[in-house]
Amino acid sequence: MNLEEYRILFLVVTLGLALVAASPVLGVVVPFDGGSEEFSEFWLLGPGHNAEGYPFSVGTDEMYSVFVCLGNHMGSSEYYMVYVKFGNSNQLDFDSSEPGSLLPLYEFRVFVSNEDVWESPVTFGFQNVSVEDVVLSIDNVTMNVPIEDVVLSVDDVIINGIVFPVDASTSWDSEKSGFYFRLSFELWRYDVALKSFSFHNRVVGLQLNMTGS
Amino acid sequence: MTWSKLLMVSAFLFFLLSFPTLLVSASSEDMVTLALTEAEEALVSTHEAVLEAEQAGANVSGLLDKLNLGAEYLAEAYVWYRLGVSENASRFAGLCSDVIGGVSSEAVELRDEAKRLGEANFVVNMIRSVVGVIVVFVSCSIVWLIFRRRYRRRVGLMSEVVSGES
Repeated sequence: MNLEEYRILFLVVTLGLALVAASPVLGVVVPFDGGSEEFSEFWLLGPGHNAEGYPFSVGTDEMYSVFVCLGNHMGSSEYYMVYVKFGNSNQLDFDSSEPGSLLPLYEFRVFVSNEDVWESPVTFGFQNVSVEDVVLSIDNVTMNVPIEDVVLSVDDVIINGIVFPVDASTSWDSEKSGFYFRLSFELWRYDVALKSFSFHNRVVGLQLNMTGS
Repeated sequence: MTWSKLLMVSAFLFFLLSFPTLLVSASSEDMVTLALTEAEEALVSTHEAVLEAEQAGANVSGLLDKLNLGAEYLAEAYVWYRLGVSENASRFAGLCSDVIGGVSSEAVELRDEAKRLGEANFVVNMIRSVVGVIVVFVSCSIVWLIFRRRYRRRVGLMSEVVSGES
């Protein structure tokens, strides 16, 4: 290496060290955005506080529990709302990008710090579950209605100790052999720019088999 | 008095008695809606103040705890409102407003303090950086001068050796 090449090497090393020395101010002036993605996580845990043992076969006079959880990775603290809805599979679609049309029964509102997780226990149960149209009477002849035409209806849902009157009914699902309802949890987020809550495209829920009730 | 007159008087009395009840019911409904709207607006504006404090670099975890308590009350208020229990709805909406009262001013104080602290830190960092850069340039220049002198001396010695050998 000749002297000129050494000079260039010294210059490069000096500039590198100068950048390191100036980094406290550069860190403030130049935004070092790592391009991190902003998103929210939303999930349900079973009664044992893990991803198993979710209530499935349910009946009356018994309470069931799950944990609803959400994680904030939006870059700042966020105002969230969770709507709890109950209905049949035609009314509540877990894969939909639209919120369910049913009115919410219960709701949670929570502020979550960035990179923080919130969770809350949810206990639920059912009252006044009845089967309609079991027996058909034609010309004084009584016969059993085919199972496909039987309708199971639920009049009351209890969530976290509050009784909600509902008008939910479902017919026999011949594919899955049962009467199925759904308990869904929708995530909504307060949009500061819009100054209103908007559906955050996240729905989690439970498929509930009420055949044994 | 004939039966028809009696019927008319009864109908009139019934209307007269039920009218104030309807009015009271309507105004109570309006009061609950108003309480809910006020609580919601207070919560949202307080959150905006807390967000500003957070963006300024303040630790807002204590304020978020208070906001969460308010949000819990507001959610409860909406649940009772949808169930038609106005008394509980307005009670919880009132609790929400009470809990978050004063949080906004606390957030503004925290924001101003964080801004002051940020500005002071910026000045300190600026001085550190400027001093650091000057130290780097001066020390590198000195090292360069020493290196260049030694390099030239070594090259001079080598050229003397080469000319001596030839």
